[in-house]
Amino acid sequence: MTHKRWFTPWVLIAPAAVWLVVFSALPAVNTVILSFTDAKPLGGGGFVGLDNYTRMLDDRQLVDALVNSIVYMAVCLPLLTFLPLLLAVLVEKRLRGITFFRIAFYTPVIASAVVVGLIWGWLLDDRGLVNGMAERLGFLSGPLPFLTDRWLLLFSAISLTVWKGLGYYMVIYMSALGNVNRELHEAAAVDGAGRVRRFVSVTVPGVRNTMLLISVLIAVFGLRVFSELYILSNGTGGPGGRDMSLVMLIQMYGQGLTGQLGYASALSVLLFVVTVGPMLVLMRLNRKGA
Amino acid sequence: MGRNWVGLAAAAVALSTLAACGLGGPETSSAPAASASGEVKGKVSLQTWALKPKFTDYVQGVIDSFEKKYPGVEVQWLDQPGDGYSEKVLTQASGGSLPDVTNLPPDFALPLVKNGLLVDVAAADPKVAEDYVPGGVEGYRYAGFDGVYGYPWYLNTDVNYWNTELLTKNGLDPEALPTDLDGLIAQAKVMKERSGGKAYLMSRKPTLIDLTNAGVQVMAPDGKSFTFNTPEAAAILDKYRDAFKQGLMPRDVLTTKYAGNTALFNSRTVAWTTAGGNYITSLATDNPSLAPKVVPSPAFGTPPLYVQGLSIPKSTKNLPAAIALARWVTNAENQAAFAHLVNIFPSTKASASDPFFSQSDGTHSGDAKVIAFTSLAKAKILQPVQVTQAMSDFVDQQFALAISGDESSQKALDDAVAKCDQLLNG
Repeated sequence: MTHKRWFTPWVLIAPAAVWLVVFSALPAVNTVILSFTDAKPLGGGGFVGLDNYTRMLDDRQLVDALVNSIVYMAVCLPLLTFLPLLLAVLVEKRLRGITFFRIAFYTPVIASAVVVGLIWGWLLDDRGLVNGMAERLGFLSGPLPFLTDRWLLLFSAISLTVWKGLGYYMVIYMSALGNVNRELHEAAAVDGAGRVRRFVSVTVPGVRNTMLLISVLIAVFGLRVFSELYILSNGTGGPGGRDMSLVMLIQMYGQGLTGQLGYASALSVLLFVVTVGPMLVLMRLNRKGA
Repeated sequence: MGRNWVGLAAAAVALSTLAACGLGGPETSSAPAASASGEVKGKVSLQTWALKPKFTDYVQGVIDSFEKKYPGVEVQWLDQPGDGYSEKVLTQASGGSLPDVTNLPPDFALPLVKNGLLVDVAAADPKVAEDYVPGGVEGYRYAGFDGVYGYPWYLNTDVNYWNTELLTKNGLDPEALPTDLDGLIAQAKVMKERSGGKAYLMSRKPTLIDLTNAGVQVMAPDGKSFTFNTPEAAAILDKYRDAFKQGLMPRDVLTTKYAGNTALFNSRTVAWTTAGGNYITSLATDNPSLAPKVVPSPAFGTPPLYVQGLSIPKSTKNLPAAIALARWVTNAENQAAFAHLVNIFPSTKASASDPFFSQSDGTHSGDAKVIAFTSLAKAKILQPVQVTQAMSDFVDQQFALAISGDESSQKALDDAVAKCDQLLNG
């Protein structure tokens, strides 16, 4: 039986299209409009031109938030692009007990980010397990301020993100590895290529598009980080608020009965622009390599 | 996987970046208030904040007795969860669906007053100022607005709490507790020396309340600008900075928010905290081995006054019933019954002579109740209600920079005042 009515494809895509328009496109347009106003939850809304954007130039917290978000992305991007691939290659082997490792690597993915954040907070606290062990074993004379030093807090949050994300991206790579032609591996092996050479010359090109997609996802996630920094800093943004990410800053300005929706929207537009940058670079790389 | 798919996925993720940060639109205007005079009948809604399930029986009893007194009235009770209450109120206010009687603390009520959404209860019910304690009524008067915008409900204040076990173990006398900041710092030095830096007495950064207590004027009388960047305020921050440098408080104070000191106290890291009059009772459930070791003492300086109240939105369709219900819930008899269940204090003048509040049963919890009740007589709202969460966060961050020595105290105060002014008038 065939359907040749002209509207059949439109009917099929309608639910997704409506969803996209209502929950993504319209709010996005609304955010851009609000960014040119002094809107508050219960008032304002008058046009203020570029005031919210010029105000950004004076916002010292914004500089910190931008630096934090960019460092987050810059560190997470290579780690979460390559480490999961190595893990996927390792757990792909059909060895006795390998299922245990597959599950172990994936377990952090299914754990709630908030719960994991709280556990890491207890571990890294001045009186937590990590400092306690390090002091007891004589590696440290006093606790390392993982949660009360600007950079240590940032890198603790990055470590948490990497640990939690490894299993997720590993699974994506595992499905991509299944599509890499085994004959190429065998041909390379016959030609004398070692494991490393086969990994670089056969495996990596075989999963190139997946790698690119993962890079894009990580870049966007890194720039939009919130939970890890929020929980590890008790919602304070670290000492002096210097560990805030862009999203935390947006939340700070936009929340509550007195939120400054205009400025928070302008920050959201900035976040969008900042996010698009690395994406375009990655897309360009993809086009060059195609 | 083709590159087009990668492009599509990337575009979707990018769009969600913007849409996920999308925010709601501006307010809706409010209708004028209905008439206050008239028979008490029909449907009326009451919204409380996090009273279920602990106080379900009490509130339901109050509602039942109200419906019995006014047979033609039907009360619909909504209780909202503790988290996200301001967002819930915001949604209701934007949509014109605030319940007829809504529990709003003064700082939640202010933005609604600014937008003309609440009824001036003093105009509709002139006896408000006569029946309720001045501190409670003052909480609902705002600079630049005539009137009173809520019935004061229950009150509370801060009491100092001390871990006697940590004190005695480290050479301090629970009978000679500090009574001011200097005394606290002096005893904190003893505790640090005796414990080898393992235990602390000081448990928090200063707040705007501490500055007010030290005589600093936080805000201009007209409520239009902040004024706490004074040399006196800088001197207070300097004292905390020196104490921090000497290791008299844990590094955690740099990243703890309000109530963070209580968490440190509960974990027995510090020997002092401030909390409401009900703290030891809660502790008996949450941390039963610590509770017997805790003793209360009056807060340093002028005790802060925390007010809860019931406001009536102008959008109410049943003002007579709303006023009657708000009065009923906050009358002396019902407030006293509530205060017998939990260590909060009535805002009605008639409750002042109730011996239940002024006589301890001999337990530390009973002592805390009496200290809190006695303190209420001189308690004041020490942090201006104009201080929003964003301002509070920024001030907290600047104070952290000052006490960690990353900024000078004066610079931190100047930055905090500039940002608060910008948020106030922006």
